[in-house]
Amino acid sequence: MTGEPTDEERYPTLSEAGRQLLRHMREHPHAPIFRNASGNRLTAGDLAEVLAHERSLGPPPAGGAPPAWLRDHVADVYARVPYYRALGAPPARLADVPAVSRAELAADIARFVPDDLPLERMINFQTTGTTGHRMLVPSHPQVAARYLAFHKRALARFGIAPTYGAGRVGVMLIGHQQPCFTYVSVTPAMDESGLAKINLHPGDWRDPADRARYIDALEPEFIAGDPLSFAELLTLDLDWRPRALLSVAMMLSDGLRAALEERFGCPVLDLYSMNEVGPIGVFDPALGGHVLLQDRLFVEVGDEAGRALADGEEGEIIVSGGFNFCLPLLRYRTGDRGRLSSVGGERLILDLEGRAPVRFRDGRGEWRNNIEVSHALKHLPLAQFSLLQRADGSFELGLAERSLGEAGRAVAALHGLLGPVLISVVPQSNGKHLQYRSELGSEMSEIGP
Amino acid sequence: MTTFTDIGPPLPALLRRLAETPADFLGEPRIGGLGDVVVPALLGDVLEELGLDPAPELLRVFAPDRARREDRNWFQLAMIAAWLLADEWLAERHPAAGPLADLLTRGLRELAGQVRADLTVSDPDRREELARTFLARLGYRPEGESAAAAADRLTMISAAERRRLIEASRAAEQRAREVREALARKAAAESADKWTRE
Repeated sequence: MTGEPTDEERYPTLSEAGRQLLRHMREHPHAPIFRNASGNRLTAGDLAEVLAHERSLGPPPAGGAPPAWLRDHVADVYARVPYYRALGAPPARLADVPAVSRAELAADIARFVPDDLPLERMINFQTTGTTGHRMLVPSHPQVAARYLAFHKRALARFGIAPTYGAGRVGVMLIGHQQPCFTYVSVTPAMDESGLAKINLHPGDWRDPADRARYIDALEPEFIAGDPLSFAELLTLDLDWRPRALLSVAMMLSDGLRAALEERFGCPVLDLYSMNEVGPIGVFDPALGGHVLLQDRLFVEVGDEAGRALADGEEGEIIVSGGFNFCLPLLRYRTGDRGRLSSVGGERLILDLEGRAPVRFRDGRGEWRNNIEVSHALKHLPLAQFSLLQRADGSFELGLAERSLGEAGRAVAALHGLLGPVLISVVPQSNGKHLQYRSELGSEMSEIGP
Repeated sequence: MTTFTDIGPPLPALLRRLAETPADFLGEPRIGGLGDVVVPALLGDVLEELGLDPAPELLRVFAPDRARREDRNWFQLAMIAAWLLADEWLAERHPAAGPLADLLTRGLRELAGQVRADLTVSDPDRREELARTFLARLGYRPEGESAAAAADRLTMISAAERRRLIEASRAAEQRAREVREALARKAAAESADKWTRE
């Protein structure tokens, strides 16, 4: 398995029905130009283990006390993971485990992979995050397949259970960027329902109108994407109504969520998910926060030194555990921020914000932070925006091209928050942007989802 | 510098004391806001009990301005050494300040590079290594042993551990290379299906 993978490796258990569905998705008259190849890579043994893992899942945490499994997890990681073994004996309390940052992982991810993990079937998910530290996250086909169990858990909150099986398309993952990794596959755990990862950028299609025709023809049960690709989806002349939209990777504004819900008549799930640990939480509008999904992921909020904070205090989200057995984490600083709370037996992240806080000086000389900016703009259906404060105190609001129509309302909302300041609007290119930046002397800090 | 000039306590007594190290000396050293044992305070108390007036700069070594998580093992060894220092036999002899400082800084720091602190309590060989290092750095040899025998035994027990460490370190390097190669394979880069992509 050192060269180009074969289809047998991509779809080890593919049936004739699955093969036909792959051909249908790939060769449909309105299909896009699929530029890549990938697959589920699940052997029959893998599939059995994935299903067993799903059956074994316990409920997500209800409170903030460190769970019983954590003590063994700490000991296990200190014994098997080179980075931690070098730190000496495992501390008796999780609080005494030093928090690690993404930069530390990115510096040499190999030191975070357990010694006894077989490497033959290791895969990676590449992430640049927004801190600029490119990283290959070690993973395994079983780990990738385990996502579905948590998607099901998130969907169940909205009264939805995936049902599509053989011959139908279970999920369509949409991107809107150049370049974009595109391919087709099937999901063995769903009786080989189809999976198509497509790019809505017109450059990937023979005819831009084929985008809507293809989605209408394939009738995916769910569509997964990010706010940028969903904003593009809104512009397509689609008849098909999926059962739900799954949004990941960036902050989803209330305005865009409302526009999508109205247009497609289905719930829009805002998932907080990371390559390093998978789906962490799903936003529940009734509770006003992201409800935690994983039973074996301990979530803390910490201060700048990585010390755990009490419920209700705002800080950096720190995670331990997770279902990625290739990267067992201990007090991993996600770079995202929020507050923790327990409501009605559920554990929530409130005010989830991507990455480190940035302060802006308003027109009255007062400091405002990025959370306030997000709040000020959240009612607008912005696909993506960025805000930069120049050294002279003026602001530059970056808007995705499709959102430029909202520029007037966005600037007005910012004036409401920031008072008399100079704000110019600039169009953004597609792709990820540092969401918040300031060039005001030592206040310069950045990063965005 | 290591010498074996004076006759120290019997080794079994020191080993027994190590094996019985109380929990207070096995806690988490305070480093960068983590941990609750303030090592300078612990050492200061013990040294004062010995009738010594510890130099502030010696104690400050264990409360650095910049936290270094790799110091943790060394600080933990210093805590265990504090328990050995509090032994009655030693208290009666008032160890000299110079060798004591050398033990706590250079001696234990070197040892921390090759021995996990908790094992100097729980593992017989590592217990002996700490006990012998401790005595040697203070200028003693175990009662009933010649200077040459004490030196040989310490060299032997340390060298064996160093050899093991070098082999482990070589294996770790090899493993890290293999992980990096596995991650870089084309098949790994092609990845596998997830229902959402972050």
